[in-house]
Amino acid sequence: MSNVQIDTQHRRRFRKEKLLDLMSRWTFMFPAGFILIAMLAYPIVYTIDISFALIDLTTFRVAEWVGWDNYTYVLGDSRFWASLKVTAIYLALSLPIQMILGFGIAYLINVEWKGRGFVRALFLIPMVVAPVVAGGVWRMMLDPLYGLTNYLLGFVGLGPYDWLGDTWLAMWTIVIIDTWRWTPFIVLIATASILNLSKDIFEAASIDGANWWTKLWSISIPLLLPMIAATFIVRWLGAVKMFDIALSATGGGPGASTQVINLFIYEEAFRSLYFAEAAAMAVLVLVGTMMLTGVFLYGSRKLEDLY
Amino acid sequence: MSTNPSTSAVLMRRLHVGQNVRILAGVIVALMFLLPVFWMVLTSFKFQRDIFTTPPTFLFTPTLENYTRYLQQSNIPYQMMNTVIVAFGAGLISIFTGSMAGYALARLRIRGAGFLGVLILMSRGVPPIALAVPMFLVGRSLGLIDKHIYLILAYCTFLIPYVMWLMRGFFLALPKELEESAMIDGCSRLGAFFKIIVPISLPGLLSTLIFCVILAWEELLFAIVLTNRIATTVPVAIANIAGDTVNGANWGALTAVGTMTVVPVVIFALLVQKWLIQGLADGATKG
Repeated sequence: MSNVQIDTQHRRRFRKEKLLDLMSRWTFMFPAGFILIAMLAYPIVYTIDISFALIDLTTFRVAEWVGWDNYTYVLGDSRFWASLKVTAIYLALSLPIQMILGFGIAYLINVEWKGRGFVRALFLIPMVVAPVVAGGVWRMMLDPLYGLTNYLLGFVGLGPYDWLGDTWLAMWTIVIIDTWRWTPFIVLIATASILNLSKDIFEAASIDGANWWTKLWSISIPLLLPMIAATFIVRWLGAVKMFDIALSATGGGPGASTQVINLFIYEEAFRSLYFAEAAAMAVLVLVGTMMLTGVFLYGSRKLEDLY
Repeated sequence: MSTNPSTSAVLMRRLHVGQNVRILAGVIVALMFLLPVFWMVLTSFKFQRDIFTTPPTFLFTPTLENYTRYLQQSNIPYQMMNTVIVAFGAGLISIFTGSMAGYALARLRIRGAGFLGVLILMSRGVPPIALAVPMFLVGRSLGLIDKHIYLILAYCTFLIPYVMWLMRGFFLALPKELEESAMIDGCSRLGAFFKIIVPISLPGLLSTLIFCVILAWEELLFAIVLTNRIATTVPVAIANIAGDTVNGANWGALTAVGTMTVVPVVIFALLVQKWLIQGLADGATKG
């Protein structure tokens, strides 16, 4: 009898302790979880919500629900497609250039000498220049009349170019600024990962008579492939959000030739006050980004399996 | 027989020369990347008449005019203050909440931790504009627009996942015995975390904090959307100066304000460069 009592008492205490334990575990998640639900999850739900609505601009509240109207409007809007195309061109140009330059420079400067740490530190500087400052300063440097770039290019017999006035060159302007700011980031990651490669393999290869080209193609690149894929995905996630450089360097112009999708949605929402249409576009971009990210992640896994 | 040593000497010398060429090329590339920053700082010390010259000039009488004018006659000092408040506020909140959550992910065997990890990664794919529109509408109806705290919380949306991820990796590398012995001594989980784990993780936490402050310091989109006068930050001011199509570009102002925002960040970054580089590499791979 008393035995059973003690047993249930034990069990109750045990259960209570287990509950307390569970609570103490979740206490750690609570503050971050609360902020992320309130400021991240809720706004996403809200965006999806108002993408089906008509917003009354006198109250900034939902006036009526219009179903898929915003989506059909957006999908029929040629400016939306044009800005998606601009974004695609920007990504297709800048991501490969930055990856190749970044890993190339890292490979180049991976020489053992006293100043290596110093040179790496120098690469840190462009990375922490605020994108909006980068855009503004580059805009100044690329000025056709007073800019430094055309002046320097003149020494090697190039130019003068109308960097900000020509639609195609303006795209290159954005790509150049973005590349300037982000290549150092890739250089730093690449240097760290190249340093992590085991030296023994290279020594063994040298003994076997491999030249540097074989070493690069048959050893370095396959070994670095997971890192290259991971860096690409991080860079993709950053580049797809690009907004500030375009805003401060070209303002999306000339015309809409450098109006990346984020800038277009921003203008639609906060200049034209088409909040619902902007929300619909944001949802489409969100879904598209997620899907492409999934594809890239899947691809990088496959790539890793391959080697 | 006698040719052997000499060829190897030639080989060695060629290798040495090759190395020097690579070092030189590396330094040149690094300096090329620094040129825009150098040009910005240089221009900020020029009089208006030296800025607009063809060809651009490297020799001029330096002046502090651009700085003094902007520090005295505009809202820049006030906006600097805002930027400091918002960047450090967001950094501190994110470090506090994010490191706790990162610890939970690393150590506390929470059910669904793997799923949470995937969610954190996914959150990095959310375009900020998809958050800015609802934040603006909700903030407007709640009267939160132009309040520092609202901008701080908005920055937490991208900083907390970052901190969680970085600190999770950091905590995973710590030996488990640390908090186990503390808990045997009668510490609660929270007690063990704050008394044992936080003190020994201080270097990592501090560097991650600096990382967060830098990211918040440069942010433009949320700042443009969620503030309009009282809580405006410097990036917004710079965007306005750079995009001023009415008066034309005020390059003196642009470069002076740009230099003032960039210099503190560069100093910060160089102070923690070792961790910053490691953090970048970890942030890219671990997952």
